[in-house]
Amino acid sequence: MRPIAAALAALLLLAGCSERASTDAPPTIVFKHARMFGDDPVPRLVAAFQAKHPGVRVATEALGSGADEQHQFFVINLEGAGGRGRGPGFDVMMLDVIWVPEFARAGWLLDLTAALAPGELDAHFPAAADAARWNGRVWALPWNFNAGVLYYRADLLASHDLPVPRTDEALARAVATVRDTHPKLDGYVWQGKQYEGLTCNLLEALWAHDTSLLGPDGAVLPDGARAEAGFARLRGWIERGISPAWVSAADEELTRRAFGDGRALFLRNWFYAMDLFEAEDSAVRGRVGIAPLPRARDGVAAPGATGGSLLGISRATRHPAAAIAFARYLASEEAQRVLAGGSVLPTRRALYHDPALLAKRPHLPRFHDIALAARPRPVTPAYLMLSTGVQPEASAALVGVKTPARAVADARRQLGYALRGLR
Amino acid sequence: MPSSGRHRLTRRERAERRAAIAFVTPAVVTLAALTAAPALWVFWLSLRERLPVFGIDRFVGGAHYAFFATDPRFWSALRVTGTFTLVSVAIELVLGVAVALALRGQRIGRRTALALLLLAWALPGVVTARVFEWLYQPVAGLVNVVLGAQLNWLGDPSLALPALIAADVWRTMPFVALFCYARLLTIPPAVYEAASVDGAGAVATLRFVTLPMLAPVLLVTMLFRTLDALRAFDIMYVLTGGGPAGMTETLTVYAYRSLFQTLRLGFGSALGVVVFALVMLVAAAYLGVLRRQDRAA
Repeated sequence: MRPIAAALAALLLLAGCSERASTDAPPTIVFKHARMFGDDPVPRLVAAFQAKHPGVRVATEALGSGADEQHQFFVINLEGAGGRGRGPGFDVMMLDVIWVPEFARAGWLLDLTAALAPGELDAHFPAAADAARWNGRVWALPWNFNAGVLYYRADLLASHDLPVPRTDEALARAVATVRDTHPKLDGYVWQGKQYEGLTCNLLEALWAHDTSLLGPDGAVLPDGARAEAGFARLRGWIERGISPAWVSAADEELTRRAFGDGRALFLRNWFYAMDLFEAEDSAVRGRVGIAPLPRARDGVAAPGATGGSLLGISRATRHPAAAIAFARYLASEEAQRVLAGGSVLPTRRALYHDPALLAKRPHLPRFHDIALAARPRPVTPAYLMLSTGVQPEASAALVGVKTPARAVADARRQLGYALRGLR
Repeated sequence: MPSSGRHRLTRRERAERRAAIAFVTPAVVTLAALTAAPALWVFWLSLRERLPVFGIDRFVGGAHYAFFATDPRFWSALRVTGTFTLVSVAIELVLGVAVALALRGQRIGRRTALALLLLAWALPGVVTARVFEWLYQPVAGLVNVVLGAQLNWLGDPSLALPALIAADVWRTMPFVALFCYARLLTIPPAVYEAASVDGAGAVATLRFVTLPMLAPVLLVTMLFRTLDALRAFDIMYVLTGGGPAGMTETLTVYAYRSLFQTLRLGFGSALGVVVFALVMLVAAAYLGVLRRQDRAA
């Protein structure tokens, strides 16, 4: 093993030398990002940035669209590059909201705090800015945004003289009333498959019962009784027939299609679905409304979970100034306006009232108010442990294999062991 | 083999032995470096708590294994792995033999049938899984449309594992069928003529001629299939993510989630060691049977 390692080290050194010899050339920064839906705005943004910064070149490399695969790619490359004085092969990366604290904790991200103007993040939604901070420092720049929201069939509610439901009970009544005349219609569809989407739905159920997955002191499911009520809420929707049984295997796309084909009355999904419902060939075009998620208890808000992505910079970058300039440009109002002209939602609040954008996407102001109340998923480096640990338990509770009490106890046990390892 | 016990080696024999060692060494060293060393490394990791994100790396001994003893998720994954392996391999063998026999008897379109069989087997696992995702789609999926039912294939805890087994059978039964078919072609017709002269009917021929002659091939295919099934990953990863309620989470899916998704390298390695031990046990059992058969033959 030794000689092989030595040979590898020599190769790396050689590669390092050849790269160092070419520092006279303009710095090239590499931007790793997820492939964008539809008309890819990234090339346009890069061209605009290079026109403003003639000294800097940007190379873009798209990753596959699966979040798990992207995460794995970043982790392998960032961890593998650690301690060898050589970068991971990219400078700026598009990060899912839930990865920022993890990557910051691992020491893979450049601390951006000193590079930003005071209050620079204030123009973004608070939930988006919160996802950029960890341990009192800023590690990334908010880039695009999503939040859980309730979609409803405005035409069907109107024809049955029903108001837009604000509470679980009102939603249940609306489903029962409309299904009297449309027995084949599904009621409320959401994401119950055992994956990240279920964690989002569970978090929203927990928040609606005024509790959370991770307490401020780091305890898992700190309030047992309320946590059980949250788990029971998901089960209750299926048990009472408000939601079809198939939500237990449903992801975003499956539920979006069911609602988009006109087969469901209510849908919990992300902001992005609206553009698809309003597309030319959509079966529900002009018949869809957006509302905050229903409340489970009087006086307790029911915020949607946030999604979206941020821009982080590798700590091993050899061109930190250029990389920061590029990330700041992408997060700027100018660049986010380009994104918002397509199918992406910006993190900058002002754009939700921008007249030019409103002409194309009239529902933006409605999203703005919902997004303002949205809440990030637990901001912790151990997020993926929490999420993948609680998913089987949430799934077991919602299909009725375990009682909510048992699911909560098992989740605490599983996660307790995982989190103890961090101490 | 002649016993070389106390017999003194001649100079020539010694030279030959040296040459043999020289020839074997590269293979042994390569195998050791590529399989034994990583296996030992994983075992060593499984005795540690290693979390690169948190800069944690410490020895914890058998703590992970001790946790498994009381971890319902581990026992569930073990049960799922066992059920999936037993049921899917059993069905694949029965169907595979049946298809091989049918193929042999087929007069026309045999090449087309072979090509179709190969196609199912040659598709990447993820593609197969995606196809079945559409077939099992709860509202408009072909399976429900054909059955005229509204079954929640992938979301019902009692249906999800059978649905995955069906997908796995569809994908890997051809593997068994092709092996058996190849063996059937090499059985000399004289054997069957002799059987019919002795007055054996179709059932007796199958029971006393065909199956015994297939047995060695069947055993080897069964070994391959069992080892694959014990490590089943792609179908459940794509179709159900291990759900609902962890009812389709195999040990490898649990290990993947721990190792790659949450970077618990020690804990995930411990799961990997369990899978490895399981595979080795089963392989050793099969090899024992194969050896006994060889000796009997």
